[in-house]
Amino acid sequence: MNRSMRVSVAALAVTTFALTAGCGRGDDPAAEEASAAPVATGDVSGDITVWAMGTEGEKLGEFASAFTEENPDVTVDVTAIPWDAAHDKIATAIAADEVPDVSMIGTTWMGEFATSGGLDPTPPDLIDESAFFEGAWGSTEVGGTSYAVPWYVETRVLFVDTALAEQAGVSPTPATWDDLMATSKGMQSAGAQWGITLQAGQTGAWQTFMPFAWQGGAEIMNADQTEFTFDSPEFVKALTYYQSFFTEGVAPKELPDGTLEPDFVAGKIGAFQSGPWHIGILDDTGGEGFLDSVTLAPLPADEKQASFIGGSNLAVFKGSENRDAAWKFVQWLSQPEVQAEWYAETSDLPAVQSAWEEGDLASDPALAVFGEQMTTAMAPPSIPTWEQISNVIDTELEKVCKSGMDPQEAATAIQQQAEAIGTGL
Amino acid sequence: MSTTLTSGSGVQAPGTADQAVPRVRRSSPLRRRRSIAAWGMAAPFVLLFLVFTAWPVVSSLFMSVTDIKSRDLQNPFAVNFVGLDNFASVLADPTFRKAATNTLYFVVVGVPLTMLTALAIAIALNTGITRLAGFFRIGYYMPVVTSIVAVAVVWRFLLRPENGLVNEVLGWVGITGPDWLGSTTWAMPSLIAMAVWRSLGTLVVIFLAGLQSVPKALHEAAALDGATAWQRLRQITIPTIRPTMLFAGVITGIGFLQFFEEPFVMTQGGPLNSTLSVAYLVYNTFGFGNYGVAAAMSYVLFAAVVLLTILQFKVLGERDDATGAKRRWFRRSGGASA
Repeated sequence: MNRSMRVSVAALAVTTFALTAGCGRGDDPAAEEASAAPVATGDVSGDITVWAMGTEGEKLGEFASAFTEENPDVTVDVTAIPWDAAHDKIATAIAADEVPDVSMIGTTWMGEFATSGGLDPTPPDLIDESAFFEGAWGSTEVGGTSYAVPWYVETRVLFVDTALAEQAGVSPTPATWDDLMATSKGMQSAGAQWGITLQAGQTGAWQTFMPFAWQGGAEIMNADQTEFTFDSPEFVKALTYYQSFFTEGVAPKELPDGTLEPDFVAGKIGAFQSGPWHIGILDDTGGEGFLDSVTLAPLPADEKQASFIGGSNLAVFKGSENRDAAWKFVQWLSQPEVQAEWYAETSDLPAVQSAWEEGDLASDPALAVFGEQMTTAMAPPSIPTWEQISNVIDTELEKVCKSGMDPQEAATAIQQQAEAIGTGL
Repeated sequence: MSTTLTSGSGVQAPGTADQAVPRVRRSSPLRRRRSIAAWGMAAPFVLLFLVFTAWPVVSSLFMSVTDIKSRDLQNPFAVNFVGLDNFASVLADPTFRKAATNTLYFVVVGVPLTMLTALAIAIALNTGITRLAGFFRIGYYMPVVTSIVAVAVVWRFLLRPENGLVNEVLGWVGITGPDWLGSTTWAMPSLIAMAVWRSLGTLVVIFLAGLQSVPKALHEAAALDGATAWQRLRQITIPTIRPTMLFAGVITGIGFLQFFEEPFVMTQGGPLNSTLSVAYLVYNTFGFGNYGVAAAMSYVLFAAVVLLTILQFKVLGERDDATGAKRRWFRRSGGASA
């Protein structure tokens, strides 16, 4: 090591220690903000900036004109941001305190952003909690306080090839775990290459698996969200059941990207589990009339019925310069009739239960399945470390499905890693 | 030494000059004005360097010794100093070890393979192929300038288990190819093949430039003395282009250690983490908001890059043989005469 290098290393070390010397956590910042200040939503004025992702970002700007007609002094400025960049952009905005007034927030990001102190807690009198699906409202609560309002939801149901099921003489709407296995096996023996496809690991596999765990009576955390409960007999039971689809050769261990829809249309795959977006995809892939030969069924029940609930929430930032108008806009978007109109515009399923009582949402039988499933759908706990813990589930689940790892071992491994990661609250 | 010469104070022992001369200069107003002007001119660069190079390095170092997480973004200094705990937990983490093993596998197989293939192609282009040389040069350089995202789609098609081109061709000779990207055994070799293909072009260009500097006369003389092509390659070409090989080895080694794009676009680190690289794990860890741990991981990776580079300098660097000694003597005498 020559002299100049030694000097620069020393300088780096000194700077680092100088920086760290002034550090140390103060009192827990999350604790001081238990309740929210009231909001005056009478006559509001000014500009509100709204960030939204994907289709929502494209369509919200025009849709919001109905709000500005009611509140002529307000201008709503919608910025569309791509999903890929959204997480980092919001995180950076909070760090720099250069936040918009309102942003759409993916349900699984709630824990992280709420604990970072960037989100304004939902004013309790403003919005009626009971109007929403229970699972949807649950996704806004972090450490017992709600930090957002559900905007739209999605949940997972079973897509079954009706013709194959009839041919095999099995029910296309399996009610129990045994029924689902029988239906899958039946369709396989009736000519399908695979009776069912279930995601066998990789990113997001937990969303396919967790419904089974919930159905079997397992929970991710205990009631007051202080400890993980992955290492339970119910969780192991669900893993064992999930694994049996792979060990018995009913479900494929590997499904190359982009083959699910064509194979399902071709009758090579009997059934799969997915969300409402697959209606559109199947309509495109299968051509007109194909959807008539598909049965949408609620997920089977074991101890109880359950599915996964996803979607997006609307949050107001603490740094918002126009807090009253921002909350009024969020409140407006969560009204039942506005939610129904928003569905007509984007096909986003309403998070407000009463919005399902009229129009297409009430009459379409396929949508009715989603509506029914939504009442039993559950969300993972909104903790800041959830993304990391779900990644652990994905990894261990992959071992269970692909290399035959013992379900009990997997449950213990998930539990240990989850405990090491912690809740982050 | 050079200071004594520019000051014009004649021949003096370096030690005494260093002490005596600056003291005189420090008091000179002209000298002070000059140094202010010099710093003024250097200021834009110094400022850019401090803000965009030094600051990120210092702050990442700072992160690596604290328990900073994404929730601390608003108050980045309100975190606890944890010493080397992050480094300890990184080194004890089985996922990190798996990623480190994968990266090592990738580097140990990938770097020599890339260099040998590139060298072979460069020699072929330099000596054998005279027709269409331009076409081949463009052909080999093409993958370097193509977007990895577009390439990934094509490679995924090639490697598909059913009706993928690779398995179709294997099928003609009666081999049933595996599910390349879905198999824990074959996913990494597939990515290595892709990485070799992708980084070949740059090395071919570098080696071609190096080969131009090999004196033709040496080859002709050796050929006259009855040396075979292989002997000439071993004894003339390789020693002459050793500095080129060192450069190629270092940049390829650094690039391969930071192996990220291939698993990111092709396998997402799967199946069963068999293609998870250290850089990808760092990316994921930052994504999970564990900035402290992720920064510590990147410094471990940085240390690995330094070690690999030192190793390459030892293996491929100047040898202590006749040419090396001569060159050093040249530099010394050149310095003294300036």
